[in-house]
Amino acid sequence: MSTRALIALALLALIAGVLAYVRPQLMRPGELPTNAELKIGITQEFENLNPIVMSMVATTYIYRMVGRSLIQLDEDSQWLPQLATQIPTLENGLARRVSDGEREWIEAEWTIHPQARWGDGEPLTCRDFRFSWEVGLSPNVGVPNIEIYRQIRDIHIDPDDPKHCTFEYREALWNFNRHHLLYPLPEHLERPVFELHAEQPEGYEQNSNYTRDPTNPGLYSGPYRIVNLGLGSHIILERNPHFFGEEAHIERIVIMLIPNTGTLEANLRAGSIDMVSQLGMSFDQSLAFANRVQAQELPFRVNFQPGLTYEHLDLNLDNPFLADIRTRRALVYAIDRQGLVDALFGGLQPAAFHNLAPTDPWYTEDPARIVIYRHSRRKANRLLDEAGWVWRDDGYRYNADGERLRLRLMTTAGNKVRELVQIYLQDQWRGIGVDVRIHNDPARVFFGQTMRRREYGGIAMYAWSSSPENNPRSMVSSESIPGENNGWSGQNYPGWSNARVDELVDELDRSFDEKERLDLVHEILWHYTSEVPVIPLYYRSETSVTPINLTGYRIPGHQISAANHVERWRLMDAEELTRYRSDAQ
Amino acid sequence: MTAYILRRLLQTAVVILLLSYFCYLLMTLMPGDPVDEMIMANPEITSADIDRLRALHGLDQPVWVRYWNWASSIASGDLGYSRTYRVPVTDILGPRLLNTFVLAGAALLVAVIVAIPLGVWAALRKNSTADYVINLFAFAGISVPSFWIAIVLILVFAVYIPIFPAGGTGSIAFDMTPWESFVDRLKYLVLPVLSLSFLSIGTYVRYTRAAMLESMGNDYIRTARAKGLGWPRIYLMHGFRNALIPLITVTALSFSTLFSGAIITETVFAYQGVGQLVFESIQSNDFNVAMVAFMISVSMVLLMNLIADLLYGVADPRISYA
Amino acid sequence: MSESAAVPKVHQQAQYEAQSMASILLEQFLEHRMAVIGFSVIAIFLAIALLAPVISAVSGLDPDRQNVFNRYQPPGSHLDLSTHERELRVQTFLRQSDRSELVRFLADRELLEFAVDDEDLLYELVTQHASIHLAGMLLELQSEAPDSARSDLHALRNLVAEFRSFHLLGTDELGRDVLIRLVYGTRVSVTVGLLVAFVSGLIGLLVGSLAGYYGGRTDAILMRFTDALLSLPILVVLIVVSAIDLGKVFGGTPLAFIVESRHESVIKMILILCLFSWMQAARLVRGSILSIKEQEFVLAARVLGAKDRTIIGAHIIPNVIAPLLVAVTLGIGNAILFEAALSFLGLGIQPPTPSWGNMLNNAQEMVQHAPTLAILPGLLILFTVISFNYIGDGLRDAIDPKSIRR
Repeated sequence: MSTRALIALALLALIAGVLAYVRPQLMRPGELPTNAELKIGITQEFENLNPIVMSMVATTYIYRMVGRSLIQLDEDSQWLPQLATQIPTLENGLARRVSDGEREWIEAEWTIHPQARWGDGEPLTCRDFRFSWEVGLSPNVGVPNIEIYRQIRDIHIDPDDPKHCTFEYREALWNFNRHHLLYPLPEHLERPVFELHAEQPEGYEQNSNYTRDPTNPGLYSGPYRIVNLGLGSHIILERNPHFFGEEAHIERIVIMLIPNTGTLEANLRAGSIDMVSQLGMSFDQSLAFANRVQAQELPFRVNFQPGLTYEHLDLNLDNPFLADIRTRRALVYAIDRQGLVDALFGGLQPAAFHNLAPTDPWYTEDPARIVIYRHSRRKANRLLDEAGWVWRDDGYRYNADGERLRLRLMTTAGNKVRELVQIYLQDQWRGIGVDVRIHNDPARVFFGQTMRRREYGGIAMYAWSSSPENNPRSMVSSESIPGENNGWSGQNYPGWSNARVDELVDELDRSFDEKERLDLVHEILWHYTSEVPVIPLYYRSETSVTPINLTGYRIPGHQISAANHVERWRLMDAEELTRYRSDAQ
Repeated sequence: MTAYILRRLLQTAVVILLLSYFCYLLMTLMPGDPVDEMIMANPEITSADIDRLRALHGLDQPVWVRYWNWASSIASGDLGYSRTYRVPVTDILGPRLLNTFVLAGAALLVAVIVAIPLGVWAALRKNSTADYVINLFAFAGISVPSFWIAIVLILVFAVYIPIFPAGGTGSIAFDMTPWESFVDRLKYLVLPVLSLSFLSIGTYVRYTRAAMLESMGNDYIRTARAKGLGWPRIYLMHGFRNALIPLITVTALSFSTLFSGAIITETVFAYQGVGQLVFESIQSNDFNVAMVAFMISVSMVLLMNLIADLLYGVADPRISYA
Repeated sequence: MSESAAVPKVHQQAQYEAQSMASILLEQFLEHRMAVIGFSVIAIFLAIALLAPVISAVSGLDPDRQNVFNRYQPPGSHLDLSTHERELRVQTFLRQSDRSELVRFLADRELLEFAVDDEDLLYELVTQHASIHLAGMLLELQSEAPDSARSDLHALRNLVAEFRSFHLLGTDELGRDVLIRLVYGTRVSVTVGLLVAFVSGLIGLLVGSLAGYYGGRTDAILMRFTDALLSLPILVVLIVVSAIDLGKVFGGTPLAFIVESRHESVIKMILILCLFSWMQAARLVRGSILSIKEQEFVLAARVLGAKDRTIIGAHIIPNVIAPLLVAVTLGIGNAILFEAALSFLGLGIQPPTPSWGNMLNNAQEMVQHAPTLAILPGLLILFTVISFNYIGDGLRDAIDPKSIRR
């Protein structure tokens, strides 16, 4: 220890002292954002905002701020008109079943909101819908889901009133009017581009104004329009003066892409963003952040909303071990789903009984209508004993042939929550003598190859997200088992085949009676829960962080984003916030 | 000299061409394709949709056909279309390249400014405490995982002592004067540049020190000393000049390291640069973007090798290009 | 740091002539203080890596054991095992032998506030009471127990005593012990580093000596190939390559067992890193061979009719080994860094196998809530890599003839 070392120590102490003094002053006082500007952070990439070709989740989130669809699903899962004035149904007489003796179809009259206009003041009419339908059906345009357009055979526009038209559908389906994904394209801007490039593959999307001139106000019909688009970086939105609905409160919205969740949180705390959208923090992080907000009284609210995303395990019924229903049931009994959601998710993501989410009008947890498996390791063990699986000293079960009860559990690599759940499940199943091997693929391999070709040998964990009141045909019908014969289409990855269920899904499409549909769905659910081709785990919750003074904001429990009602969002000033808080108490 | 440069350029071009095919092949070996990405985002896509989209994007053709199409469109000046962002590659790549050049350039500058004096100092005071400390610092520089140093920097300078932004490229605001936006950019650059230059500082210090020691041992230094020249003249004019050669090589060659390092740094700091873009585009199978960025980086490394060779001649007149 | 070590030991000069090459090298190496420290650090880490199962057994900690209701606990926490784990242990306890006497005895004591089947009694008992409390209760009962149940009761008490665990460095996102995961992570990271450096050293030796010895077209082709690989931005290539599915590469071959094993991602990591890290070694070997080839003793051997194999094996390789050893040592550090970087990006070692890199990946987004999780693995990487680098430096100094005359 020389004097030099002492001096060094003293210096260090001095620096530490200065920092300790400076630090509280560097921490920003909790300045609340105002209606002048709201900065939202997201972690997922977005593409340009052409509604007809967009396929990224973040883009569909943002698009709701600048564009509207024909009808919408509100926060309470009610179907409401958006660009239309009314939803045609058989009951209100705007839709009718038509038959030419051979086929039956539906014709429905749609009227576009009289004030609906594009951002450049041009009226928005049925022509814009007809145009987007035309583009959607073009073989040279990379539309992700062509069924949206194919279900419409033709659109007849009223010659006297372009705001009024009749949709002629191909078939008579009870849910013909669910056009929440049908967006108009501004014909007056896009028609020339389309005509010029229609013959060239991807010609339209590469030359569209959405690509070449994304800040053109005429492209947008929502409460906001884009004034600056930095792909991979940010979007700046300003109020659209021509919006037909109520005027938005917030003048400008800046959406910033911060692909790293840790950095995102640091930015939020430093005040360079005011809010984190649903496409932001991981669930774990939101949970930790919520605790911190409470402990340190930070000016944020952490929102949790259970959604339609259904996390589950597909059991490959071709696996000889899993072909035995007793083994499948043992696997369900052995896992403590409530324990799982309590431990890992603070109870904020609900445990699942079947594929329908609690926000779905068809949901039921009536033990008379579905089979409910309460966690019981003893029942699980008994079932495995019955199935002939014997314990050995190594702590695993073996069958008569001396094979160990070993199953492969797969999921998408890099999804932290799934990896946590996976390890949790592995541990739970070890308790009943099942040796679970984890093997994960990158997401695109997992979905593009492993699942699609049913190459997962045992158990696969992933999620579905479907609209409410959706026919589960593609997941449960035996026609939907991917294979050579159907060109690997369908998502019945377990390979579940039940003749009665096949009938039920067909009947479901044709039934125009609400009560009858409910019964049909519940019968499907009964078979689904009784035969366990799939083990339900939990419903994913959407999480977001909002400034404490934001009102009018709600995360809906379905795939239409919270931004659907962005015009209602409002930032209270300090005075109003105090009043609001004292009212709440 | 000109003939030499031309020959080297030609060789470089051939290598780039071969590497481009190799890279293209590697990319196709990765499972999945852009359409699979869409399937993940949208469970309602049908198998017919998938086949339709594959055919539309030309993904149903053999690799060499796709490579040929790609290469010929590159040759005709069309860099292609980004599947992820749905815009021409140039639109997305241009600003990113600029950002990365700013980042890498600043890191290089900082590294050189810090490392060379340290290295020279360590060499002149060989085996002193200062030498040991500088050496330890240099070794730490080459041994520390860059992502970890980035996390630690964020933790210290953005969370505990919030004086720098935790990540991003710049504030998004309209009403900034050019000076303000310049200062703003600088603030965002500090932490990424620090974390990126750390590795290079370590490397440069080691090379400077070694090269200095080597050249100080030469006879002409002893001669110069015997002649009674003042020490700055000896060390800087004679010693350092000779130490420059290996240093130039290392600096030029470290461009590839900086580029690789930028991937991690940009990912952790959410900095909008090419590195991050490359990572994202590889992850999402955005061929056109990944390939172009890849080729740019390979070409840069090869060109830097060439420049390093040429600079030898400038620094050391004994080397000539016949 | 004092300056005394730096003073050359002049009196040793005279001994050099009498010493063997190896002992000169050793002495030179030992003079490099940092290298010696580095070597000790590595020795400790290697010991930890080798003894990981012993450490696990002695401390009663398991890298995979979860405690999901106690996630992200701070360092120095005392925690009860998860109910799941407690039940599992009771299950094993019950399966070991007939414990009915004990159960009957305990059932009579009415230790629970509610009635349960005898079959469930022990399970309920261990999950309802905190383990400290329960151990105390069982101790009190010891004297009352009938002979038939006494030894079982004792065994149960021992079992319950082990329900409490101490977590020196806290717990991670699944309530697993961070310390023992770091210990096992040492195993993975150091193994990857050593194997990659060794194998790529061998590849480098092979390619380099072929190129250097035969020269001409062989040399040109091999070296152009090496240079081309060197010019690739290595991390980008690794990102691409690590996305390739081993199952498709090895499917149907005798190597398919790799894909099936628990350590697939580790093996894959080693293979990938080996493929792209031999180039420096190859250049180095070629360089030294080119200079050795022209020396008199090689020419003499050739004139005397020695075969290529003999010349390479007996003369060239021994002279190339020393610089190669340095390169390999430095390569270990690099391999560890690359493994960590790839695992950090989520492309390397896959969970649940712990490696320092993937521990950091998990910790990154929680860095503000649990900073120790992010800091510790990075420090270990730093210490290991810096140690290997100092060892390499020490070796280089030791074999460098110029530095002997310090």
